Amino acid sequence: MKLLSARFHNFRLLRDLTIDFSVDAHKKLSVIRAENETGKTTMLAALQWALYGDDALPNKGEGYRIHPIDWDIKRSAQVPISAQIEFEITAPIPGPSGATRQTRKRYRLLRSATETISGAGWRRSRSTPQLFLMGENGDTPLAEPEAIIVDYLPPELREVFFTDGDRALSFIEAGLSTTTKRDRVQRAIRALLGLSVIESAERHVKDASSDINRKARAMTASADLQKLTDEVEETEKAIADLEEDLKASKEQFEHLDEQLNHIDKRIGAALQKGDQEALAKELEGCKRRIRELDTQLDALDKAHSSLFKSASLARDLLRPTLESAMAIMDGLRQQGKIPNTTIPVLYERLEIGTCICGGTLDEKDPDGARRRKYIEGLIEQNRKEDELQKLLTEFYFRSKSFVYDQSRESMPWVQLYSEYFAQRTAVEKQRESEGGRMRAIEARIAALGNTDIAELRQNQGLYRQQRDDANRKVAVLQNQLANRRQHLESLTKRRDALLKEESKGQLIAGQLNAVQDVLLVLQRSYERICNEELKKVSDCMNAMFLRMIGADPEQNAIIRKAEISPDYDILVYGAEGRHLNPDQDLNGASRRALTLSFILALTKVSECEAPNIIDTPLGMMAGYVKREVLRTAIQESSQLILFLTSSEIRDCEDILDQYAGCIVTLTNPAHYPRMLVNPPPSPLVQILRCDCNHRQSCRICERRLDAVIADAATEAAYV
Amino acid sequence: MSSRYFNPFQGLDIRVPNRFREAFGRYCQTHSEDGAKSSVVHSPFPRMVDMWFLAACLGAQGGRPADYDTKDTYKIIDASILSSDPWRIDALVLLAIGYTKNVEVISQPRDVLAIASGFAVAGMDRLLEMLGDGDSEPVWNLSDELDRLLKKLVPAGAHSQ
Repeated sequence: MKLLSARFHNFRLLRDLTIDFSVDAHKKLSVIRAENETGKTTMLAALQWALYGDDALPNKGEGYRIHPIDWDIKRSAQVPISAQIEFEITAPIPGPSGATRQTRKRYRLLRSATETISGAGWRRSRSTPQLFLMGENGDTPLAEPEAIIVDYLPPELREVFFTDGDRALSFIEAGLSTTTKRDRVQRAIRALLGLSVIESAERHVKDASSDINRKARAMTASADLQKLTDEVEETEKAIADLEEDLKASKEQFEHLDEQLNHIDKRIGAALQKGDQEALAKELEGCKRRIRELDTQLDALDKAHSSLFKSASLARDLLRPTLESAMAIMDGLRQQGKIPNTTIPVLYERLEIGTCICGGTLDEKDPDGARRRKYIEGLIEQNRKEDELQKLLTEFYFRSKSFVYDQSRESMPWVQLYSEYFAQRTAVEKQRESEGGRMRAIEARIAALGNTDIAELRQNQGLYRQQRDDANRKVAVLQNQLANRRQHLESLTKRRDALLKEESKGQLIAGQLNAVQDVLLVLQRSYERICNEELKKVSDCMNAMFLRMIGADPEQNAIIRKAEISPDYDILVYGAEGRHLNPDQDLNGASRRALTLSFILALTKVSECEAPNIIDTPLGMMAGYVKREVLRTAIQESSQLILFLTSSEIRDCEDILDQYAGCIVTLTNPAHYPRMLVNPPPSPLVQILRCDCNHRQSCRICERRLDAVIADAATEAAYV
Repeated sequence: MSSRYFNPFQGLDIRVPNRFREAFGRYCQTHSEDGAKSSVVHSPFPRMVDMWFLAACLGAQGGRPADYDTKDTYKIIDASILSSDPWRIDALVLLAIGYTKNVEVISQPRDVLAIASGFAVAGMDRLLEMLGDGDSEPVWNLSDELDRLLKKLVPAGAHSQ
């Protein structure tokens, strides 16, 4: 099967979009170039919806709105939705003498539904598919379209044909239990290898066995045989019920395991952004430091204000006048007009205890006491000088110390201001830095949105408990099933022995033997196909994987081998057969390469001609690995449709030049003006398509350079 | 420390022309009417006396006190406030001696205060220019202007002499 084109109408942002896919055998790559939030995942969902119906939508369609979010309800409350896919199927037709010829048939599949908007809610009618065989003379409607789809694209393999680059990792994700991963790998392999046919045959043979058992019971036989056949029937029924229960419990376990893994991831992502509680504490600490710095700045404001009332400022401004006044007074002193200079000097001498002549002024010493009394007399005499002289005398000495003050407090005002300025600048810088930190923390808290880690952890605990309960139930059921099977085996042996003893029973015993032989053949075939085909898938995956990551086991590569074990575990080995955990020991690019090689290997081994549609396969990749993954995917797929962002395309342009038969670009006009250069042609929010390839841009898709966007974002953050 | 000083201006008033009333209200953190406070950035002076004194210092740069109508004035504060910064008392007396070249002015506190007020009036316009000139807030305009002026008036190292 190859996809020819797809058309979407009112499927979310895909209001009216048509995409053609390449069917050129030499250029089998189709590229849909689209940046984030540009409808890639939506288109992947729309394609699956068209082929498989509502069950293929996220969450099986429950709560998943399809109509455009900004649908104008005034226009109509009913939104017609449709997805149309044209595809072709090439099939060999046997000819004479064992020759075959290829026939090519083209089909058009149309799935439509209507969503009715009512207030804030909506409801969707059950979608209906219509399939047409396209012919030169018009399209012919076909009955039971699902049957044709199922033949060529089995629903079990939906995740193999339609791959989300991130979701593909689910085959090896560390968060999932080993059982879940095994089941996924096993289911994918079994579905792809067509083992469901053998499983169905097994069921059919078991039913036949039950019928024969019922025949044995219906014949007039001994009471023992009657009792045994009843018991066999009951046990078979119990086993069938247990198998159903086991299947349901396993599904429940897997679902809970996935939910738990999802919550783990959300907790991980939230913690990476920051724990809300821890961030709140950090914010509080930051605010406290800001308050302290604001207090310092207030104090500095006062200090700044004080600079304008400082003695230094007055002294520096008045210096010529002050010096002139001091010169006048110095002159008076020299002229002896300020005689009272003796008083302070005499006071000073009394305090020191030594006379100008060098003699002591100690009261205990007779000479000292005499000299002291003399000096005190001189002081008293001087006090009687006139008031002006007194004023001048006091003022002269006091003002001298003001004018010629040499203390630190009297440093030049320019220097005081300079020191103040440096101190203020330092505090302001700290304040600015803390302010920036606070804004960053607030932004991180805002980015957390409503993610409440505590609540998530609570849910995590609940899911873990439920998952563990489901796991215990699976174990109990497996045990009960084993016991029942053992019991059935013993019952059938005893029943068969009794049947042989009775003449009518011999024919039935023979039939039962034949049935059991057929069953054995089927079971052995199943095991053989599993083992052989599993090995083929494993070898193919290994070859592709090593090629993609450029690991040569002969050249001392770190990764030597990848395989799928008989238990359906995907294993990776390093040097000397050391086991590497794919989720922990491999980098992001290698993990994607491993899962993509598994998917491509499955498709290849099944010899099923079907498209591989992969969303963002080259995310987290660069350089050699990126190019080799792309080359290998192109080589191994019969039709490859890739949804790529510009950054994924970067460094792979020449490969696209060589292998891409069809490239289109999708643009989300809502990205104008932040990311798009030109305004959209219409105010309607819808994904726009243009025919620009990976090297072109037009008025619709021309984008601003990343650097320019980053600068604008930074600027906006500061504003 | 101030208690050691005798304030000769005790009982006198510091007055300024009425035309500066608005400027004193705007640039001083204490408003005489209600005592309300405003920000340092826009009102750099803690008290009116600080603004008045700085105006006097700037006025002294011109060498002559301004003639002004003493009747068209209002009291900004009692001169007893000068006791809180006693060095200002000395500075005002020195300013008066330097201007009059007569030491006897020391015994005439009213004259000393009149001379200082004259210088303050002379310096007010310059001070208001300094506060308003510049692209920043008054406190930074004034700081920058004073820094520039003093770097011219007091060359580096002059203080160490």
